Amino acid sequence: MKQASKNRGTKISSFRRLRRLPGWFLPLLLMMAFCSVPLTVARAQQSKALEQRLEVVAGLIRDNRIQEAEQQLNGILKVAPNDVRALNLLGTVRAQQARMGEAETLFLRALRIDSDWIPARMNLAHLYSLKREPEKAIAELKEVLRLDQSNTDAAVELIPLMLAQGQLDECINLIEQLKSSQNVSASLLITLADSYLRKSDPDRAEENFRLALAKQNDNADAVLGLAQVSQLRGDNKTASSFLARSKGLEVSSPDTLYRFALVALKSGASEEANAALQQAVKTRPDQPAFLILLGVTWLQKPDLLEAEQAFRRAVQLQPDNAQAQMYLGYCLLKQKKYPEAREWLQKSIENDIGTPESYYYLGLIAQQRNDDDQAIALHSKAIQLLPAYAQAHVALGSIYLKLKDYPKAKQELELAVKLNSDEPEAHYNLAVLFARLKDPQRAQEEMRIVEKLQPAKSVQSTEPGAATSEPKPPE
Amino acid sequence: MTIPGKYLAVLFRLTIALGLAVACSLDLSFRAGAQRTLPPPKPAVTFQEVNPKQSGITWSHNNAHSPERHLPETVGPGCAFFDFDNDGWMDIYLVNSGSADFFTPTTPLKNALYRNNHDGTFTDVTEKAGVSGGTFGMGVAAADYDGDGWMDLYVTSYGRNILYRNNGNGTFADVTDKTGTAAPGWSTCAVWFDYDNDGKLDLFVSSFVYYDKTLNVLCTDDVNRRYYCIPRYYKPTASRLFHNNGNGTFSDVSKSSGIADYPGKSFGAVATDVDNDGLMDLFVANDTMPNFLFLNKGGGKFEESGLAAGVGFSAAGRPRSGMGVDATDYDSDGWQDLFVANIEQEFFSLYHNQKDLTFTDEPGEIGPATQFLSGWGLRFFDYDNDGKPDLFLVNGHPDDFIEMRNARVKYREQLLLFRNTGKGFENVSEQSGAVFTKYFSGRGMATGDLDNDGDLDVLIANNGEAPALLRNDGGNRNNWIGLQLIAKQSNPGAVGAVISWQAGSLKHSRLKTAGGSYLASHDPREILGIGAATKIDNVEVRWPSGKVDKLINPPINRYLKVIEGSTIIPPK
Repeated sequence: MKQASKNRGTKISSFRRLRRLPGWFLPLLLMMAFCSVPLTVARAQQSKALEQRLEVVAGLIRDNRIQEAEQQLNGILKVAPNDVRALNLLGTVRAQQARMGEAETLFLRALRIDSDWIPARMNLAHLYSLKREPEKAIAELKEVLRLDQSNTDAAVELIPLMLAQGQLDECINLIEQLKSSQNVSASLLITLADSYLRKSDPDRAEENFRLALAKQNDNADAVLGLAQVSQLRGDNKTASSFLARSKGLEVSSPDTLYRFALVALKSGASEEANAALQQAVKTRPDQPAFLILLGVTWLQKPDLLEAEQAFRRAVQLQPDNAQAQMYLGYCLLKQKKYPEAREWLQKSIENDIGTPESYYYLGLIAQQRNDDDQAIALHSKAIQLLPAYAQAHVALGSIYLKLKDYPKAKQELELAVKLNSDEPEAHYNLAVLFARLKDPQRAQEEMRIVEKLQPAKSVQSTEPGAATSEPKPPE
Repeated sequence: MTIPGKYLAVLFRLTIALGLAVACSLDLSFRAGAQRTLPPPKPAVTFQEVNPKQSGITWSHNNAHSPERHLPETVGPGCAFFDFDNDGWMDIYLVNSGSADFFTPTTPLKNALYRNNHDGTFTDVTEKAGVSGGTFGMGVAAADYDGDGWMDLYVTSYGRNILYRNNGNGTFADVTDKTGTAAPGWSTCAVWFDYDNDGKLDLFVSSFVYYDKTLNVLCTDDVNRRYYCIPRYYKPTASRLFHNNGNGTFSDVSKSSGIADYPGKSFGAVATDVDNDGLMDLFVANDTMPNFLFLNKGGGKFEESGLAAGVGFSAAGRPRSGMGVDATDYDSDGWQDLFVANIEQEFFSLYHNQKDLTFTDEPGEIGPATQFLSGWGLRFFDYDNDGKPDLFLVNGHPDDFIEMRNARVKYREQLLLFRNTGKGFENVSEQSGAVFTKYFSGRGMATGDLDNDGDLDVLIANNGEAPALLRNDGGNRNNWIGLQLIAKQSNPGAVGAVISWQAGSLKHSRLKTAGGSYLASHDPREILGIGAATKIDNVEVRWPSGKVDKLINPPINRYLKVIEGSTIIPPK
């Protein structure tokens, strides 16, 4: 469900971007339409005058003289109502006029007349992309590739759509096919490598990032991709060296900045991640994923107010983005703004019932309200979803501690320590437990562990008081 | 509803003694009339800053600010409301810096004693009284330690503390050496309370870090600017407990009591009874170390129980930078709750007493409001006389360079006022006067009824700046009764007395705590609010000695002296 929300956001943003950039959209459609200029013998029999008129129409559309183009096409279609070229051009005109339904009808009519006619199918795929109907767009593009395996344009357009739909294997197969038959671009190789990364296949990912780098030795995405591969392998040293290398490269694409931030954040360079994301968000303020990651970097700073703003902007862009809602709830929880935090976390669960953190954070809020039964239920739910959730066990332990059910408290806290021996809150609560059980020696032992796990900070702006663990940064 | 003759006579005496304003009764009758017709909505109670030119309080604190950023520079000062001349009006004492190993004043610095002129103005009588200090002063605690009926002063310092005995003639004598209470080192807060219920006031003195100028740590930011180091860099020291021998001397019982077993970096301290055993416990804030909850076990022994009680650390198990503290029963469940203010981003804690020597942190609205604040002086008091303790917070960051490191945090910070609604604390700062929009380098904070109008005013001691005197306007729109507890068998401060009062369906109870806030000492009188009720059915004072005095249908909107064992009104 999280994935679906993300996709929807990507489509909205693409749509808005295209609507703002008609100059990009127009030539593409024209190109598709223009490809329809008859080459076959049957079409050569049509009058040269009609061809000339169609070329004039194309010129008019190119010059954004839409009304005149429409008049000409109406005239042509009176004479040749089933001319697929004219129908395709009129579909282009309608798309320009944002009359998407009519455009779709015209492209489909052209395809009913000639189902193998690729330009109309490409335009139809574009249209579906704009209409945020990725499944239909994918189907049209796949049909294009069935008709013409060497159609790189279709492949290039199809791959991101499939990736967004989570069709990783199909995407990989497609690019591998292209790779075997032609010289693919560096960006396509990076897409392939990213797909392997997502499948946790570092070897294949590395192979393709390196191929991309061989084609373009200053490709920052490839360098950062290699850093991601190293991080996946747990080789932080190599990752850092790739990260350092990427800093020498010129990066302006917001997507690359986002990738840099992901790598930097994992390397503990949250300041640099934050700077990169701020730059990326300036260029692409409508990308919720950027804002969420930006918020995460603010959380790490920590600047909870900036983080809150970033998450708020993300939920404004994608009101049903469960991840953004969860982060916003968490951020408000850290600021002890419990009522609003609760609202967002509940919304997050409504949109995604499978995230254990949301239940855990809600459980912490229930603890604040002294609603111990509810808190136990929520933490138990978090544990049901993620049995190794050490913090949730700590929270349960602290509730049982408050309820003076010391055997249960001990059981939960010791389990938490077993799951994560570096969890200071577990040791702290055990220390409290032992102190209450009049076992000062064990209490002191636990506190010594706490002290070791919480190194002293050198400046006076310090930790938030709430016993919360930060959600993992988005991948 | 007749008032026994004996009682009436006592009232008459008090009216004269405390200089009760006639306007008070007139005001009451006017309000009673208004209520009969159309009760207008009550305007908010506000605090108005008194202009120093009007009050005559022109003294200013010198914090000895230096490029070396010696830590004592940023910790003071304290202040007190107390009645040094027994005229029934609160006088003011303010603590200043002075000579120290790292500081030689270019002009003489002095503490200040301002006598209340009963008309909103004050006169500086420091020199005549002989209480100008001369040490690098921190805080002050006023009490009648020798039970002679005159309030004495204990001034804490970086260096050596001073005990000023009130001679009863407008002057004080330095009896520090004679009493053995110098407590060299770096003392911060002091609390007069009777830990062994022997009827004499003992003295707890918070001790901060081990420091002298040669130990000053160099803390610099990324552009090599020196800032005040976090106290984590300095070694802790043990606080002190002095037993009052009753003969003008004290015995240092820090070791035998167990207090010295726990070195800390102690600031605020409050004496309260968290387990209702009749023995006063101590809650002590520590900076960068766990807070102490010293449980009074009787027999002169204290047991530190902060960890088990859940008040030592943050919920995450981190020691925080505790500074100001106070205690009260904010939810009227009969058990004392605790409050501690910390440094910015650590949040302040309101510890709710679970009645079994454990506490849970339930700050409610106070939590988010204090996210970026550093709290020092603070006090639970009933500013609007509705009977419930509200909370006033004085804030300020210790580091004057903090704004260069953190854009969210200010060096001077705003005050906060939280009203106790009966269901929690509501932030009413915005509607409580323009002073809440101002920024202060606040440290000490004391409460007292400086104009005897039946509501508590506030005195704020600012670091390196003039103090701020805030007059409570409208707190006395609700009805009240003021009590001055005169102990005969119990300790002279009546610390540990439990006062209960009932007005119709309203029932309240208050433990007379000692200390609290930060480096400060408060008006010892107790104002009991009764809201809109026009009469009090009864007031009961349960003294630390075990004696109980009851007042039936006492008059309202005036101060009464309640003398231990002499104002017992027989039940009807």
